Amino acid sequence: MRKNKVHAIAIKSFAVLVVLGLANLVLASLGLANQAMAQDAAKPYPNKVPTKMAAIDQYLMADRAAEIALARSAAPESIARDAEVQVLGRHGFETAVKGKNGFVCIVGRSWTSAADADFWDPKVRVPMCVNAAAARSYLVLFSKETEWGLAGRTPAQMTESIAAAIAKKELPAMESGAMCYMLSKLGYGGDSTPHWPPHLMFFYSDTDPAIWGANLPGSPVVGMSDPVQHLTQFVIPVQRWSDGTEIAKP
Amino acid sequence: MKYFCFGFALVIVMGCGVLNAAAQSDPYPRMAPVDQYLMERNAEIQLARSAAPDSISRDATILVLGRQGYETAVQGKNGFVCMVGRGWGAAFDWAEFWNPKVRAADCLNPQAARSILPIFYLRARMVMAGHSKAEIVSAVKAAFENKQLPDLESGAMDYMMSKSAYLTDEGGHNIPHVMFYTRVKDGEDWGSGAAGSPVMSAPYWFFSSKEPSQMKGLPPILVVLVMVADWSDGTPAGRHT
Repeated sequence: MRKNKVHAIAIKSFAVLVVLGLANLVLASLGLANQAMAQDAAKPYPNKVPTKMAAIDQYLMADRAAEIALARSAAPESIARDAEVQVLGRHGFETAVKGKNGFVCIVGRSWTSAADADFWDPKVRVPMCVNAAAARSYLVLFSKETEWGLAGRTPAQMTESIAAAIAKKELPAMESGAMCYMLSKLGYGGDSTPHWPPHLMFFYSDTDPAIWGANLPGSPVVGMSDPVQHLTQFVIPVQRWSDGTEIAKP
Repeated sequence: MKYFCFGFALVIVMGCGVLNAAAQSDPYPRMAPVDQYLMERNAEIQLARSAAPDSISRDATILVLGRQGYETAVQGKNGFVCMVGRGWGAAFDWAEFWNPKVRAADCLNPQAARSILPIFYLRARMVMAGHSKAEIVSAVKAAFENKQLPDLESGAMDYMMSKSAYLTDEGGHNIPHVMFYTRVKDGEDWGSGAAGSPVMSAPYWFFSSKEPSQMKGLPPILVVLVMVADWSDGTPAGRHT
């Protein structure tokens, strides 16, 4: 069981930024917190986030080309144009465009974020482009979670499934050098933290975040470790979005 | 893109060193007098610490350069080691290898301290004893062959966020960044060098190896750099164009 929110954060992948104020931590490191919060406060959220899974159609993007474009927006065009692109089908991610540089771009959905109020939010769209090492390790876990999410498993069931899969060695350890780009300005992380700054993520198995000096005052590195998934994620904010525009300075 | 010109043991070169090597005559053909590489001890401690936020460097071990090489000035307790690198700590074919102005403040994490720092120690000892670049390369190769230098540890990285560092004669001389020491064979695996990518990389030993034998006996290490927004004191670094 997930004993607390911090644990829940660690359990979920890329959207760690979307919970528990970690996004604000990152934003603050870029001096953007106040500005982003002001923007968020001004933004209306007409739809109440469901407490259980919405209809599957709401998680899918009817416009396949739009999902491909959104997935590609996670990385600079120089990387994304030759990347494989996967789109979400009714049973999981499917290859929409074959790539040739080893990167894989996808749009994550809500159930791969923390087990919070946004867990079933069908509006969540998290573009990411993982490199080849992450595609062979992190993305396997990510895709499995997506299959389980589409099957309607609860956060608790998801945790159990992950633990069982790891115990059976059905999920690989993180490969050396596994990382991803999350530089899209078009993503939506859910009502708790709709937007996040552009950043890179690095994936390790069972690593203490302290070894990178993560989460200390002034450190540009945010780190999270999840003992259930045996996954440690490091986040480093960068200054430009994938389209080359610079993040706004306060 | 001027910022390609910074980043000590690494990028320093990619954009600058290699290009400059071809663009101009060797500005630093030989070692400068030893005194030019040395610093006042307290100033060196302070500069070394400035490589990382105080939350990291205040509990770090601090090294200073003496006449026989690096020595411990302050014993730390968090596993990080802060030091001030000199030009000869960078790639062997960097045009500024002997530049006595280089002061590359650097805080290495425990993995880098265990696996990269021993290389620094050896190189510093050799340099301060007056050995040539070729002799240093040979000594490093021999040390690896004899298992006197360790294998690179996974997760080795360092902070280079000092606003007081001098990394190169090029551009603005400095930029805050973090670096990763990896076994990644090709920087493109991280999207390094792609247009618009915030990631840069360069080989650790030679930016542009002239022949395979040059690298023989040296473990491949790719240094990957990610620029960050703020200096270690929290002030913004400004924009890079």
